[in-house]
Amino acid sequence: MPDGMSVAEPVAMNVARRSRAWSRDAVLLLALALLPTTLGGFWVYGIGVCMANAMAVLSVSFLLRYGGEVSIGHSFFLALGAYTVAILERQAGVSVAIGLPVAALAGVLLGLGFAWPSRKLSGIYLAVATMALALAVPELILQLGPVAGGYEGLYVAKAPLPGIPLDLQRYYLPLVVLAMAVVLLRRFRHSRQGLALLTARDHPRAAEAFGFSRGFARLAAFAISAGIAAIAGALLAFSASTVSPNSYTLWTAIYLLVGSVISLSGLGLVAALVGGAFITLVPQLLAAWGDWVPILYGFALLVVVILGDRPAETLTKLRGRIGGGRHG
Amino acid sequence: MADALTAEGINLAFGGHRVLTDVSLDFRAGQITGLIGPNGAGKTSLFNCLTGLYQPQQGSIALCGRRIEALPPARRAREGLARSFQHVALCPDLTVAENVMFGRARLGKAGWFDAFLPLPRGRAEAAEARAAAEKVLARLGLSAFSEALPASLPPGTQRMVEIARAIVAEPRVLLLDEPAAGLNAAETRHLTEALRALAAPDLIMVVVEHDMDLIMQVCDRIHVLNFGRRIASGTPAEIRADPEVVRVYLGDPDD
Amino acid sequence: MGDMLQDLLPLIWTGAITGCLYAIGALGLVMIFKATRVVNFAHGNMAGLAAFVVYTLTAQGMGLGWALAVVAALGLVVVLALASYGVLAKVSERSDLRGTIGTLGVGLILQGATQVVFGADIVNLDLPVPRWGASVGGLRITSYDVTVLAVTTLVVGTLFVVIERTRLGIAFRAVSTNPFASRVCGLNLVAVQGVAWGVAAALGVIAALLIVPTTFLSSTTVAAFMLQSFAAAVLGGFSSLPGSILGGLVVGIAMNLFSYFVSPELNATFLLVLILVALNVFPGGILPQRGGGSRA
Repeated sequence: MPDGMSVAEPVAMNVARRSRAWSRDAVLLLALALLPTTLGGFWVYGIGVCMANAMAVLSVSFLLRYGGEVSIGHSFFLALGAYTVAILERQAGVSVAIGLPVAALAGVLLGLGFAWPSRKLSGIYLAVATMALALAVPELILQLGPVAGGYEGLYVAKAPLPGIPLDLQRYYLPLVVLAMAVVLLRRFRHSRQGLALLTARDHPRAAEAFGFSRGFARLAAFAISAGIAAIAGALLAFSASTVSPNSYTLWTAIYLLVGSVISLSGLGLVAALVGGAFITLVPQLLAAWGDWVPILYGFALLVVVILGDRPAETLTKLRGRIGGGRHG
Repeated sequence: MADALTAEGINLAFGGHRVLTDVSLDFRAGQITGLIGPNGAGKTSLFNCLTGLYQPQQGSIALCGRRIEALPPARRAREGLARSFQHVALCPDLTVAENVMFGRARLGKAGWFDAFLPLPRGRAEAAEARAAAEKVLARLGLSAFSEALPASLPPGTQRMVEIARAIVAEPRVLLLDEPAAGLNAAETRHLTEALRALAAPDLIMVVVEHDMDLIMQVCDRIHVLNFGRRIASGTPAEIRADPEVVRVYLGDPDD
Repeated sequence: MGDMLQDLLPLIWTGAITGCLYAIGALGLVMIFKATRVVNFAHGNMAGLAAFVVYTLTAQGMGLGWALAVVAALGLVVVLALASYGVLAKVSERSDLRGTIGTLGVGLILQGATQVVFGADIVNLDLPVPRWGASVGGLRITSYDVTVLAVTTLVVGTLFVVIERTRLGIAFRAVSTNPFASRVCGLNLVAVQGVAWGVAAALGVIAALLIVPTTFLSSTTVAAFMLQSFAAAVLGGFSSLPGSILGGLVVGIAMNLFSYFVSPELNATFLLVLILVALNVFPGGILPQRGGGSRA
């Protein structure tokens, strides 16, 4: 038996890092909450969309981290959430306040249905199936007919709260929901289901030996991830104020994965914002060199994947810096 | 047999290759039972039949009279089977205490709302699980490591954490798959003491192991397999004296 | 009833012809998967890039002969495939997940490169075969059909002879069954895996060049076409070469019937359903596997 000294130190560091992460997140949230008082409308709009995209990145990161699975089909669940909000507003006259929970529920249910056939199979089949899922999205939306507004799409313009300017609501709703999601996910990490998913990811047989089958883990991880993605879609529809089929292509889904990998699949606030900002801002900044975006993203994926293969410390160190990784 | 894990007439084959032939044996409560045999004797295969990883073509497995051979591994856990792994299977992202807490996760009633929201029932349950984990860790002398990550610990300690995870839910059957594999002499000694201390009147303990010294010191009874058949059963002293076992392990004098 | 049959037969025929191409694409995916446990999401992007290379070399005043252009394109993709393998081999050894993400990265780079170099134009690329058609028992068979069948037979036949009869083939089978054992046997793992990637990429190019004449060529068409190959591979169990050929034919025929009788606007959705149903009904692939391979 070695003595406790050798491990006591990293433990103390862990605890310290966790409390630092909390205070850092609190400062960041406060700063984000105050931003609209100093910034112009364009920026408020842009950062609002960034935060909605951060939520979308979070959904892919959740699946990577808790399920150990790659999805390139999450544009489906984004579209599901976005169109749920837009169609409910158009048809039933209700705002995102109703649309968002409905979207979340729909996301979880369809996520379960989608993951069901591959629940007992290795993850590669899920990944291939998500590719087909992503390619089916635009044609499915068009199939909905005039209800979904066809190629033009729909506007989302109903304010959930009276008395507050809509522009500000488009900013604060994603901020509040993202902050809540990060806090809830941090709790989930310590729940019995969280422990089960993490164990099943690394050692499915160990998870089985303690009562959690591979199928349970697959379905749970995918359904939660799909639910988060649907919420993100709802936020995106509300913050960007429009939905249209060409916002939900295979590329959307692949870029979400890029955002997730770039943020080292962290589930903390900083990681999510980094991923969200990356996929929102890079295409904007490189608008004139649009064809270079996939090249840049491709190299970014390769660099992270290869770096991750070098001494694990590189990754851990980076993770610690970006934050929210392990304890996110 | 009431308080026992029994296997009756187990036959297992992989694509025409016979691995186990008509194996019948029992593991009694209150005893530590060893399962030994030379390489390829079928002990790991039998172990996997007990845990549910393999489905034998014939034969029955019963725990305290209840048939379990048709249950998948996750359901056998509910019947009170717990196990450790030959290659340590702890989650690297969870601390030692959390890995042990996972051993109790299936007992929890906390639903999906508890998982995300700070509801009273989930909180109480998590606190209870943590307390149980800390208690088991203390019992095995691992308290100092409860907040460490498994990768930072030596193999012997990781193995003990696995055992802690297996016993934290107070199983009826504890199955240990080569617990001494990869341990040094001091660690093996520590393991021997720990296993003896774990024995309890209502616990069925099964140890598959290569390390003869460990088996002889720890076990109350031993089953010996060779070429997929059971060739002997008895106390360590009887097994040591059994001519067939001696021949299997030491080889024929003519060889 | 007679009318129905008259419709049905040509649909099945043309479906089987495109199915051959899906099968060739799927063979490449399965070879890479068997050799390195990586699902190559860059397969279509690479083939698409090669198709543009052939187009540019032949059509745009470069005046190179078809044969030369194809050789150049094949050379390029083999180099690219080996480079991808070189980058991803170590990565995917640690985890399939990282390997898969890596191939997506390669795919993005190739996709972007295609757009940067060749632009977003939509072009036509025809095969250098004379156009003719003949009617056989109510079935119209064109020179295109014959070309596809001939190339498929040649490619599949060669592949199977190589895999069943040559040292390289034995090595490939050994590597795909158990990489560790094959290393012990003294096989050069890297060489076998490299050949698998190179051959797979070449198969992708062949499929792409044969499919493009029926549609048109843009920076995304070939990548989209590969979804059918993915579906074919899944139907075949993803680790069976004969299974992926059968899968290709099934996908080709089923798609053709679906778009004729139900809707041509829901092709991707139909493939999605096909994949999900296949995973549920044939978790081990539509062909029973040698050695009882399982997907789990």
